[in-house]
Amino acid sequence: MIDLSEYFGRRLSAATGTSQLGMGMPAVQQVGAHYQCQRCQQWLADTDQLPNGAWYCRQCLQLGRVTSQTKLYTIPEPNRFSPPESPLTWTGELSPDQQQAAESIRQHVQLGQNQLLWAVTGAGKTEIVYPALAWAVTQGWRIAWVSPRVDVCLELAPRIRAAFAAVSQCLLYGEQSAPYQYSQLTVCTTHQLLRFDQAFDWIIVDEVDAFPLATSPLLQLAITRAEKSKGQHLYLTATPGEKLQRQIRQRTLVTTYLPLRYHGYLLPQLRVRLAWRWRERLHKGRLPRPLIRQLLAYLGKGQRFLLFVPHVRDLPEIMAELGQQGVRGGVSVHAADPERTGKVQALRDQKLSYLVTTTILERGVTFSNIAVVILGGDDAVFSTAALVQIAGRAGRSADFPDGEVTCYVQTQTRVVRRAQAMITRLNRQGKQRGGRRP
Amino acid sequence: MTRCVWCTRTFEPPVTLQDLLRWRPLPVPALCSSCQERFTPITGAHCPACGRQQATTIRCHDCERWGTETLTNHALFQYDAGMKAYMQQYKFQGDYALRKALQAPLYRALARQTYDVLVPIPVDQHTWLTRGFNQVTGWLRDQPFQQVLRVKADHKSQPQSAKTRAERLVTPQPFMLDAAAAKIIANRRVLLLDDVYTTGRTLRHAANQIYLGGAKAVTSLTLAR
Ligand SMILES: [Zn+2]
Ligand SMILES: [Zn+2]
Ligand SMILES: [Zn+2]
Repeated sequence: MIDLSEYFGRRLSAATGTSQLGMGMPAVQQVGAHYQCQRCQQWLADTDQLPNGAWYCRQCLQLGRVTSQTKLYTIPEPNRFSPPESPLTWTGELSPDQQQAAESIRQHVQLGQNQLLWAVTGAGKTEIVYPALAWAVTQGWRIAWVSPRVDVCLELAPRIRAAFAAVSQCLLYGEQSAPYQYSQLTVCTTHQLLRFDQAFDWIIVDEVDAFPLATSPLLQLAITRAEKSKGQHLYLTATPGEKLQRQIRQRTLVTTYLPLRYHGYLLPQLRVRLAWRWRERLHKGRLPRPLIRQLLAYLGKGQRFLLFVPHVRDLPEIMAELGQQGVRGGVSVHAADPERTGKVQALRDQKLSYLVTTTILERGVTFSNIAVVILGGDDAVFSTAALVQIAGRAGRSADFPDGEVTCYVQTQTRVVRRAQAMITRLNRQGKQRGGRRP
Repeated sequence: MTRCVWCTRTFEPPVTLQDLLRWRPLPVPALCSSCQERFTPITGAHCPACGRQQATTIRCHDCERWGTETLTNHALFQYDAGMKAYMQQYKFQGDYALRKALQAPLYRALARQTYDVLVPIPVDQHTWLTRGFNQVTGWLRDQPFQQVLRVKADHKSQPQSAKTRAERLVTPQPFMLDAAAAKIIANRRVLLLDDVYTTGRTLRHAANQIYLGGAKAVTSLTLAR
């Protein structure tokens, strides 16, 4: 006996067909001379045929293989929910600025508009969405909160579970083993949306500018197909990319700004310092003198700091040179580091004076009272968005809103200037709302 | 520029002076160098019976336990995290394109073996229908082989990987000989080919059947040990 609710608003294969599911559609279909996957809509290569004659899709393989012999089934989304009368169980409080943004988002949702929330890092954008989400839940809507990044989903799911305690919820991502459950609220990675078909009345896309969503037509298609034809979506971002900025300027996308962080202070501006030939010097195992002086001064007054560098392969040389120059008491950490969590916690607990790291800490990791230094901000690995995010690591806490952000470059690049311009623009808007200089 | 079959990134295949002087079309590697490095070849000292990497060249503890039921196996790679990740995607997720990743090393390994007939371990009917391919023959390019073994129809297909060592060791004979087998293997030297040597139970079952068909010698080669 299969649970039909598993097929509500989905595009899913079945181990055993049943008449209740209808005919289904072949997961891989021939179109002209080529084959197309009906789950991810990508074209198969001419070589993706199995010896038993079936064609299979490599693009969405991680969701379980589908072939021309697989059938996909859908039951139109029935919105079979019984939402509580007042679903929001979150007891925190929004600042007046947050409240204003929250109200704006709710109004646009009620008008059925696609929209963007542009909120600086540390503005508390999740909570700003709660009032609109609460309203949507009472309407019996099915809602997805998605992010291209698994770690964002993992961090988000328990918060939303607590904030909407009586609303049915499920979390979906690649490696999890918990069974799927038909729920009013779904928190999932953008990839998982490929298993849905016109399911959601509202899709909230968190970190819309994060890799790989920004560059993947497949994932953008996943969002479009998972949204009902009469549905709508909300993009959340701290650093909109070129395309979104254009839509904002042309007013083709309803936008709510929150240029101020929740503690009301403005973002620290990137201070650019020239470091002549930092890369060549680094190859010889040397670091810019002004950088060393700055770091020693931080250590002297007990100021913890993050030093961002472009590449993992640079870490050993940099650590060796820092040790040589007496900048001690820190360690390096990178994305694949098994001790990553422990090292981050050690810095938080003030057991370490600093971390040297690559861009992996740019989003979502917070330390109170931390200075930020970037070596090689002109390197191609740092995008405008990444630089603004990195700057946003500083001054996160209300007790220490003043965070220095220094960026060492060989040449002042367009990317760096754009990052400064974005911070200036956000701060200008922040000032209009009474934002304070730290 | 070529695309790595595993990570799908494009890469520049390394070209040596020797390659250029050979005046032949260059072989296109299936894997980029970092995917290549996920496999650990078995080199130097290894167990002479099962082929596992070890510090000595005497029979390992597991092989000693087999007593007189001997079999000589060679293995190409260690069954480590990289190989497991590969098998997971190739065999269990069914990514047939990944067969290309190990075709070249298998080709070279087969060239070093002495045999008359190559016999791949078969997959059962259910696996053939669901997976759609035999993972072992997928690694062969155009080397001739004989599918003289079949999986008995009544053999319960529970994956070996889901069993404990003790359970695997008591697995009943899963194979039978094809009707035409005797003609092909009688008095010949047979090389069995399989993906992973774990306990050696499957290969010994296969070898027993091949001997019943009149083969004069049976050895085996596996991708991993
Ligand atoms: Zn697909
Ligand atoms: Zn690769
Ligand atoms: Zn052995």
